[in-house]
Amino acid sequence: MSTAAREFLLAASNSATLTPRETIRRSIEHYEAAAQRGRSRFLDWEGARRKCSEIKWEALNHLDKYLLEFEQRVKARGGHVFWAETAEDARRYVADLAMQRGVKTVVKSKSMVAEEIHLTPALEKQGMRVFETDLGEFIVQLRDEPPYHIVTPAMHLTRADIAKLFTEKLADFMTPDATVKDDPAQLVAAARRALRRAFVSAEMGITGANFLVADCGMVAITTNEGNDRLGTALPRVHVAIAGIEKVVPRLENLGTLWPVLATAGTGQQITCYNTLIGGPRAANEVDGPEEFHVVLLDNGRSELLADPEQREVLQCIRCGACLNACPVFRTVGGHAYGTTYSGPIGSVLTPHLRGLNEFQHLSYASSLCGACTSVCPVKIDLHHHLLQNRRNAVHSADRPWLERAAFKLWRWNMMGSHRFATAGWLGRNALSVLYALGLGGSALDPLRPWTKYRAAPAIPKKSFRASWRKRGAD
Amino acid sequence: MEQIDNPGRERILSRIRSALTKPAPQHAAMQAAQIFAPVFDPLARFQKECTDNVAECILTPDSDATAENLRSLLQRIPSGEVYVQDAPVLRRIAEKSISGRPIRWSSEGPPNEASQATITLAESLVASTGSVLVASCDGGRAASVIAPVHIVVAGQDQLEPDLDAALTHARERGLAARNSFLCLITGSSRTADIEKILVLGAHGPRRLVVLLAQHLD
Repeated sequence: MSTAAREFLLAASNSATLTPRETIRRSIEHYEAAAQRGRSRFLDWEGARRKCSEIKWEALNHLDKYLLEFEQRVKARGGHVFWAETAEDARRYVADLAMQRGVKTVVKSKSMVAEEIHLTPALEKQGMRVFETDLGEFIVQLRDEPPYHIVTPAMHLTRADIAKLFTEKLADFMTPDATVKDDPAQLVAAARRALRRAFVSAEMGITGANFLVADCGMVAITTNEGNDRLGTALPRVHVAIAGIEKVVPRLENLGTLWPVLATAGTGQQITCYNTLIGGPRAANEVDGPEEFHVVLLDNGRSELLADPEQREVLQCIRCGACLNACPVFRTVGGHAYGTTYSGPIGSVLTPHLRGLNEFQHLSYASSLCGACTSVCPVKIDLHHHLLQNRRNAVHSADRPWLERAAFKLWRWNMMGSHRFATAGWLGRNALSVLYALGLGGSALDPLRPWTKYRAAPAIPKKSFRASWRKRGAD
Repeated sequence: MEQIDNPGRERILSRIRSALTKPAPQHAAMQAAQIFAPVFDPLARFQKECTDNVAECILTPDSDATAENLRSLLQRIPSGEVYVQDAPVLRRIAEKSISGRPIRWSSEGPPNEASQATITLAESLVASTGSVLVASCDGGRAASVIAPVHIVVAGQDQLEPDLDAALTHARERGLAARNSFLCLITGSSRTADIEKILVLGAHGPRRLVVLLAQHLD
């Protein structure tokens, strides 16, 4: 078993003590009600999912063409595009740029790709101060934790937890005479005051991108708080980091993608701020950064593209709907996965990004119930991809020799009808003897893993085939 | 800026091209679905969506009435500078409505952080979502986000029934080509990151007010 697998099992079994399930349950129930209302605002939600899936599929199957079109248009406006093969390439580019420009303070909008490449520690190592400016991200940053959820990073915390955190870490910005210390409005106000100072002094703003629009060469960034807006208006350098799979062909595609992302992500009809940025401040414009850089990250994505069976995984728009729907995520929580991307999409994606051998266990972190697939707004067949990863792991990754031998024996047994009948006869009789001796549930009982939590089924006297023959005779 | 050394570019592109030589199953061609219900009365829909988004929409007959409404709005906003997009129509409206407080015009530079309100035009209004589409030419990037109140002065002829129409129209007018920044704004800045409880005014405006004139001249 890999180290990551052992850590996952340990964290999963401790998850109930680490995070109150009640907090997660309330948050997800709230989301589900909102998402249901959101979907009902569409005349044809299924049609919308199909359309989004088609848009992303078209983009992926002509990825080189659309990325080059995007790059050409960004450059035409005076922006820069850097293609990063690995996380290290991307980190080094951003860190070197920040050094060269004398950056001391960075304001960061929420970006899963920045989490994926561990950008913040790399910048901090160079002595820069990095502020997460999405409120949820800011909270987990103050706690020195990774985000709990793709869309709701502080999902696992109650307002009391956050009030305690802010009283310790943001004392200067809390209203001293606030009567209700855990009033969310007061907490938001304190964070706003603290982060305004950062926005005004920062020399660099870093954002992710929800979409890269090829035909107008713009990055599309979606937030409710408007932190992306301040981070791309005030600092003198803007860096947008995105996976190469984020490109979409046309501006008009956003007419469906924006509402679908919002509905799947939070249940909103559309998110408050849907920003499009195509370059640095132009000569005739009032404000904006002097420099605009886009970092296009591969980091394993082109290999996933080369797998026709799982290529569609790159359609993901990181809405978090599959996390909310997943009974495993709801039970073990986001931190137990120990990966940047958690939940069903994380379980599918992580083995591709970080190695099947080390992360094959995530393919089993699923009951294959298909809830994830049923909510995915771009119609990724998530639970079947988990099955495919299991199959691939059996062929290529390390499995215990005992498991391999057992399956070989099982297969051999299943291939001959006499062998199968003999094995059935042996099984029925051996179990009957065992249970007659009162050894059911003991260490000798081969069904113990099953009967540990469930009643043992009654052992039939005859085989199915014998019953079938008798039925024919009647 | 100096030319960036980027050997990864060609390698990524060649990996993509070789990946795409392996054909993947195509999606069955579907009939273009009618995804959103058609909008029959854009004005009524815009007002309803504004209410749902906790944005304020004030209907006025003309720019004089818009000025009158702006004056009474500003009376209830703490004293201090307001930032106004330097456009002829806003010059006329500001003359009649803003008194007793400093005005910073967008032609003088970006807004000060301490602005009490910002007043801008918009490129279009989207009825189906109650959104306002702004661009760099509407007073810049910070104008619609920096102050506690953002006031949009618009005319009913700017109403688009839905997002598809607004984006198509934006392309036809070359909006994306002429501006380095566009933003579709729906309601004021908000967060629900603490226990999913909605709080307005996270980083940007607590209030978004649309002064919507029947005829803006």
